[in-house]
Amino acid sequence: MRKFLVTVVFMLGVAVLSLSQENVIDGLVLDAETGSAIEGVQITNISTKIGTVSDKKGSFQLAVRNNQAVHLLLKHISYESLEIKADPLQNKELTIRLNPKITYLDEITVIGKYDKTRPYRSEKVTLKEMEKSNISGIGNFLRNEPNVGGVRKGALGIDPVVRGFKYSQLNVQINGGTKIEGGCPNRMDPATAHVDLNDLQSITIFKGPYALKYGPNFGGVIDMTTKSIRFYNKFENHVDVMAGAQTNYTGFKSSVGVHGGNNLVGYYLKANYKQYSDYESGDGQIISSSLEQYNVAGSIGIQPAEGHIVEVGLDRSWGRNVDFPALPMDERNDDTKLFNLSYLGTAFGESINFLRFKVYKSNVEHEMDNKNRPFSDTVVAISNIKAINAGGKLGVNLNLFKGRLETGVDYEQISKDGVRNKSLIMQPNLPSFNEDLWNNALIKNLGVFAEWQKTFKSIDFIAALRYDYNTAISDTLIRNKPNGDAVYEDGNTSSSFNNLSFSAGITWNISKKSSLLFALGRGSRSPDMTERFIILLPISYDPYDYLGNPQLKPEINHEADLGYRFAHQKMGAIEASLFFSYVTNYILGELEPPSTVKPQTKGVLGVKRFTNIDKAYLTGFEFTYVTAEQYKWFVSLNAAYTMGINPEAIQYIYEGVEVVDEQIIKNDPLPEIPPFEANLSFGYKFLQQKLTPELNIRMVAAQNRVSVANNEKTSPAYTTFDFILNYRYNEFLRIYGGVTNIFNTNYYEHLNRNIIGSTTPLYEPGTVFYMNLIINL
Amino acid sequence: MKKYILFLLLIPLLLTNCNKTSQKKVTYLATDAVSAYNLQYLNDQNELITTSVEPQSAQDKWKYEFMTDKGQIVYINGSYKDINSALKIQLLVDGKVYKQGATQGDTLRYLVVSGVVPYD
Repeated sequence: MRKFLVTVVFMLGVAVLSLSQENVIDGLVLDAETGSAIEGVQITNISTKIGTVSDKKGSFQLAVRNNQAVHLLLKHISYESLEIKADPLQNKELTIRLNPKITYLDEITVIGKYDKTRPYRSEKVTLKEMEKSNISGIGNFLRNEPNVGGVRKGALGIDPVVRGFKYSQLNVQINGGTKIEGGCPNRMDPATAHVDLNDLQSITIFKGPYALKYGPNFGGVIDMTTKSIRFYNKFENHVDVMAGAQTNYTGFKSSVGVHGGNNLVGYYLKANYKQYSDYESGDGQIISSSLEQYNVAGSIGIQPAEGHIVEVGLDRSWGRNVDFPALPMDERNDDTKLFNLSYLGTAFGESINFLRFKVYKSNVEHEMDNKNRPFSDTVVAISNIKAINAGGKLGVNLNLFKGRLETGVDYEQISKDGVRNKSLIMQPNLPSFNEDLWNNALIKNLGVFAEWQKTFKSIDFIAALRYDYNTAISDTLIRNKPNGDAVYEDGNTSSSFNNLSFSAGITWNISKKSSLLFALGRGSRSPDMTERFIILLPISYDPYDYLGNPQLKPEINHEADLGYRFAHQKMGAIEASLFFSYVTNYILGELEPPSTVKPQTKGVLGVKRFTNIDKAYLTGFEFTYVTAEQYKWFVSLNAAYTMGINPEAIQYIYEGVEVVDEQIIKNDPLPEIPPFEANLSFGYKFLQQKLTPELNIRMVAAQNRVSVANNEKTSPAYTTFDFILNYRYNEFLRIYGGVTNIFNTNYYEHLNRNIIGSTTPLYEPGTVFYMNLIINL
Repeated sequence: MKKYILFLLLIPLLLTNCNKTSQKKVTYLATDAVSAYNLQYLNDQNELITTSVEPQSAQDKWKYEFMTDKGQIVYINGSYKDINSALKIQLLVDGKVYKQGATQGDTLRYLVVSGVVPYD
């Protein structure tokens, strides 16, 4: 009996204890786009109304009184609210990702994608925008942004053009300072071609010569931010998988990544693979555009103490058999290595906001040939180029003079060397000879920068200053005939420059809803590798061999931006900007007399040598409207236009291939400027924002303002329609599907090059059906 | 654990798609000659080889076969001095005639048949 009583008491005790037992859910709240911790999220158990708030690290602990599943409601002013079911037994450690939202808090102006603190135009492309697209290349993707175009030469490597500035007039970089130098003289592999879109978290475009802490900035900065390591309170791992497939341009892209760690170590491993075949344009023309690209990357970070993070990363990427129908060669092999080491410190007290240090090295080995071209029947040409970009940056951000000062130094060193081997396969004894493409060319740039921001009542002020010391040298620029005789030789290849850049701007917050922005800047850039050292290659849109000029002077952009922002809780947000740019020492190709040097490429009209012209002007505008986020329906509209003027251009008059005269064209449009463009998107959010259909209409005007002096061709207007369906099944699974170019419009962008040896432009793909599946575990 | 298994399953899938380099069979074939001739050809090591051939009859064939990657230069030339007969050279890829040529009496005594192993 006594045993029985003891047993009953014991069992009752266990039952009471188990009934009253407190289970604790440990949680972590992260930003779904950036992965950063979110502080101040209200987490409420809906049934008991008991709640808690996440701390600085995004962590929270919530006690639940039994083992029943609970419904949690997560709320934060800057994020979409989320209701989830959590089982205390299974979900003791919970990671929750919240989606950012545009919020109008007491009529404080917060406009979705624009950087409120900067008085000049910037565009931010988010992860979601990239995920829902069928596009595989970054340059191609950026063409959707206002006043951003792209030069298409083939399947990959669309070269971005921002407000009419292109190539090295733009500073294209990764994670705020890492650079990659492409190998191809014809820019089939610009920096954007060496980064996989699936590896990116966001892309920010800073327009104008204002953002000077990113390196020399002449016309704008494109900063690609990659997905990075995260630290967790307790050790955990996550897997991200993406798979996408499409018709037309038939192919697929796939990506898998695993990341995790604890509060000491974080890691990220990822791999991407994509393969596409030729595509059909709107009229059924087959465009050679197949490609294969893959990469593996890994990074590991250590946080030895809170506020100090050291990260090291390595990325290997390969390209195989990438078609470039507008160029004389295709990419056969590309092998790129990118190494990064960085330190970020944020725990230095109140006077230092952060200290950042990074070093990097990118190594591109690029092989291209004409083996898939009809003219390989007589001459097989194979080019092998090695391009190395190494550098680093040290910067500190201080609280100084009641403002914030960021200052530091950066360094970049670009070296390129490469030859083209030609085998004359129709000749006896198979003669073979080499030509220099780059001859141990080297550019070094050392910069010092400072940027100061301060708020005076209703005015946000920002000023930046930058000094660059730039030197360059190459072995003798030489081109020989097959018999060894020199066609061209230039041994005077060294140069050095002291470049000063500065900018200043204000954001005048007229009211809580509207702001007026004004910025002035002077951006200076030294000539790039191509402009200095290219040796007789047809690298531009016009049929000329181009010759580098080691004695070019730096190009200087003096720009003014005027902008207006308006945001209303119900009416939505508007941003309008006007810019005017006065460029001195503008770099253009000018015809060389045949007596000086003769062209070496079959079919070209002559040789153009890069030269500084006195001046050029560019001006234009951007306009954007987005509806308020609170509505289920949404509309966005953007429109943009740029025009460029060369006050005195020289036009050469030809009879056959002979120049017989020349004339001055007054106010000739600058070549390769995209036409007016407007994009209209609208859609509706169904099923608590889980299902969102969206229609995008892109209207592009004809470009009739073309360079007469350069015999640039006009291009016709076109309109395309895309439909996207976004389905968010749960926090782990998203599906995007759609149709681009619904009506199979046959069109080409003004900047697309012609198919080599013809006057036919490279048409864009016709209708494409696609689907992307994204899993985040 | 499931995540690791998924990851491990996907990595080989990705990597098996990488570095697909299918090879092709290349055949050089010299026929129809009745007199001695010289040949110069690129071999499987990409070396330019010179050889002399003395056929006994027009039915005698000279043949060289090797496996090579797509995109490789293939090249063979022949010099034939007998203007009363012809030397025919064929270049086959995977058994199909890719390029061919023949000396034509007294008008051509030096013959080159060459190209690039096609990618498609």
